[in-house]
Amino acid sequence: MRLGGYKFKLQKRVSLSGWQAATISLLAIISALALFSLIFILARINPLVAYREIFSYAFASSYGLPLTINRFIFLLLCTFAFIIPYKAGLWNIGMAGQLYTGTLSAYAVLYAFGVNEFQAIRISPHLIIVFMVIAAALGGIAVGSIAGYLKGKFNINEIVVTMMLNFITFWVVSFMIKEGGPFMNPGGRGESFELPSSLQPALIMGIPFTIFIALGVALLLYFMFAKTKIGFKIKAYGHNPTAAEYAGISPLLIPLLVFVLGGALAGLAGYHYFAAVPGVYKIARTYGSFGDLAFYGIICGLISQGNAIAAIPVALLFGGLSIGGRFVQGKLGMSFGVDFALLGVLMITLVAFQFFYRYKIIRVNTQ
Amino acid sequence: MQKVLIQDIQRGETILEARGITKKFPGVVANDRINFEIKAGEIHAVLGENGAGKTTLMKILFGQYQPDEGEIYIGGKQVHFRSPLDAIDLGIGMVHQHRKLVTAHTVIENIILGHPRAGKVLNIKRAEGEINEFCEKYGFSIDLKAKVWQLSEGEKQLVEILKALYRGAEVLIMDEPSSALTPFETEKLLASIEAMTRDDLAIVPFITHKLPIVLRISDRVTVLRNGKVVACIESALATEKSLAKKMVGRDVIFRTKRAQAEVGKPILQVENLKVISDKGYLALKGASFSICEGEIFGIAGVSGNGQCELVEALAGLRKVEGGRVIFDEKDITFASSLERWQLGLGYIPSDRIHVGSIADFSLVENTTLNYYFDEDFHKRGVLDYRKIRELTKEIIAEFGVAAPSADITAKSLSGGNLQKLILARVLSRKPRLLIVYLPTQGLDVGATEFVRNKLVEAKQEKAGILLVSEDLDEILALSDWVAPIYEGKFMGIIQGENAQRELVGAMIAGITLDEAEI
Repeated sequence: MRLGGYKFKLQKRVSLSGWQAATISLLAIISALALFSLIFILARINPLVAYREIFSYAFASSYGLPLTINRFIFLLLCTFAFIIPYKAGLWNIGMAGQLYTGTLSAYAVLYAFGVNEFQAIRISPHLIIVFMVIAAALGGIAVGSIAGYLKGKFNINEIVVTMMLNFITFWVVSFMIKEGGPFMNPGGRGESFELPSSLQPALIMGIPFTIFIALGVALLLYFMFAKTKIGFKIKAYGHNPTAAEYAGISPLLIPLLVFVLGGALAGLAGYHYFAAVPGVYKIARTYGSFGDLAFYGIICGLISQGNAIAAIPVALLFGGLSIGGRFVQGKLGMSFGVDFALLGVLMITLVAFQFFYRYKIIRVNTQ
Repeated sequence: MQKVLIQDIQRGETILEARGITKKFPGVVANDRINFEIKAGEIHAVLGENGAGKTTLMKILFGQYQPDEGEIYIGGKQVHFRSPLDAIDLGIGMVHQHRKLVTAHTVIENIILGHPRAGKVLNIKRAEGEINEFCEKYGFSIDLKAKVWQLSEGEKQLVEILKALYRGAEVLIMDEPSSALTPFETEKLLASIEAMTRDDLAIVPFITHKLPIVLRISDRVTVLRNGKVVACIESALATEKSLAKKMVGRDVIFRTKRAQAEVGKPILQVENLKVISDKGYLALKGASFSICEGEIFGIAGVSGNGQCELVEALAGLRKVEGGRVIFDEKDITFASSLERWQLGLGYIPSDRIHVGSIADFSLVENTTLNYYFDEDFHKRGVLDYRKIRELTKEIIAEFGVAAPSADITAKSLSGGNLQKLILARVLSRKPRLLIVYLPTQGLDVGATEFVRNKLVEAKQEKAGILLVSEDLDEILALSDWVAPIYEGKFMGIIQGENAQRELVGAMIAGITLDEAEI
């Protein structure tokens, strides 16, 4: 290709350092925002004003920031639920299903202790919160491990299984919380009963405690894949299952393990959003849209290239833009769906920029 | 670009010429000002070690790569290939080493696939007639309606040849044409090549080793070393020794002498082992043998006679149907592959790229494949990568793996160096029993010699070795015991000194020891 007096050529990259990947991602984000400016310009809004509103609401206002952080924790857990199987070369498309069952399991703990009927708790609420967290993880595991087991034992495609389980669990939630369901809200508004205030976990500076779980898991995962035996086994299986089997790594256990771990984290994401976020504390009527949001875990995982630490800023950005996008939509009087459109453009641009992970443009000497 | 160019060329005139071809890759000059010329009706072999630049040159002649410098001429006119399509249009055909066929389709469908005339409406009848003409002319016999997956390697190669001919190839480039073939199939291939040159077709086989084949069929040989042409000679004037010397740059000893070692107690005993293949039939029909410490037990035979199943069953990668495997007085018939590694069994698979290594892993991580379970290299599940890196550097140095650092990926190693790495990694565990499956397949002369010497060293350090190879010379040179295998059964077990080439050759073709000796 010629541009002016220069000639350019595509060349395959031999290697890609973490910093190069980060720079490419940053350029992609800037390009996506520039591209999305067109939408603002078409709506006769100055894009600079719009972006200032988005970012200042999402990251610098006392109303927006907590919302951003809650979404961030949710997205980060979903991202990990994707990353762990991804490292084993497997695709978890079932974060939604796993987080639904996680949520249902947490609420089942309440149901078991009779919380919904009498709003009276016979044992320490702290203990129940612990049970709820554990149950949420187990619920996610129950659904996740189905895909892992089928993959390991019969080599059944995990994408199909996890995807199908999403639909099943979606309707199970609906059955549980709507007309006559065991978790139905007494007011019958198509949502679950609310958590009594004693079971609403304490906030730390306005932030749910689940942020420590999410950030702690980030460090653990990073360490696991960088240093440990199990991390090595997962990576080996992910790059080449045949070679892994040759080296004595079980082709049955690894798929099961990664889906158990991934399912547990997705289950925790469910607990986080429906039982730990201030102002929610119930399985909302709009639970389906959180299932949709969970899919952004895939894109966050792909952008961060499976690196659990790199996933933190990415999930924060996506969480913030989804909150900020929704805000400017109302504030600037735009039509519905600005937040999802913004995330969509960002996603497409980031995926397109992955081209530069593999190729670079070099200037050719014309002499 | 016109096709006419090539057909006006008379036998013996230059048909394809490359001048001053240079191609650089990051860090290496793969082709360094190569001059190369082929005449119509000639068989012109290109010989060179792994990494000598053969593949690059071949890809440039076929339009897969564009040279950084240099020109290509067909019939004296300069041409530019933007892609293989341009090369095909100008009459250059290629037979790939790794077959590029649609296995679920029939032979004829594969041959017409991509042919411009196949365009929108398939006229299989007409194509069949035309292809049959080629078959008759050159004496090929193949069932055009058979599905490709049913064919043997030799037949698949024939399909590739027919495909190139049907596209109008006048120059046929063949990548390692005999590497996957049985001796019998090789003979047939050589006859076909000779038949094709009668019609002024130029044939260019690219060959790593198998010098006798080069000498037998080619008219001229071009030898490459380190990306440069070191010789272009008439085959009649060359000898195996002189070619090997030019290839490697030094003298090569062809026969590794069978080394004596102290024979210890039996390390592996196999009793009536039965194993089923992927396709569901009994591939190994009851094999019994034992290997002692300090012995090499060689299994000779053509691929597909149960060797793969035997080796995988012993490595713990395939279910055993019947029989027993005893390792050092311990029954390991149903032990997992991990348990076998931990007991001191080492396995070197034939497929270095897909089984023996992980292409995107660094050399350190590839070494980890055989060490992650070792108590000395992890503490409570945390791997000691520093120690593994030290070990990797040591074995790389000891085995002469050509790598700038231990952190490059395995895919950047050439075949020979990758095999050295795998061998080094497994041997560094000091296995008590070593299973090696086709250890020198596709390796150049220098690397082959190296690998064989290392096997002999391991034997002298009291390892028992099970060597499975298709290369009769390799088996005969190294083994203390030779077991020719045919259709899942040993045709007998002969002591190394008594194993005559003719005898073993007859036995791998299905003649039992008794019949052969009468």
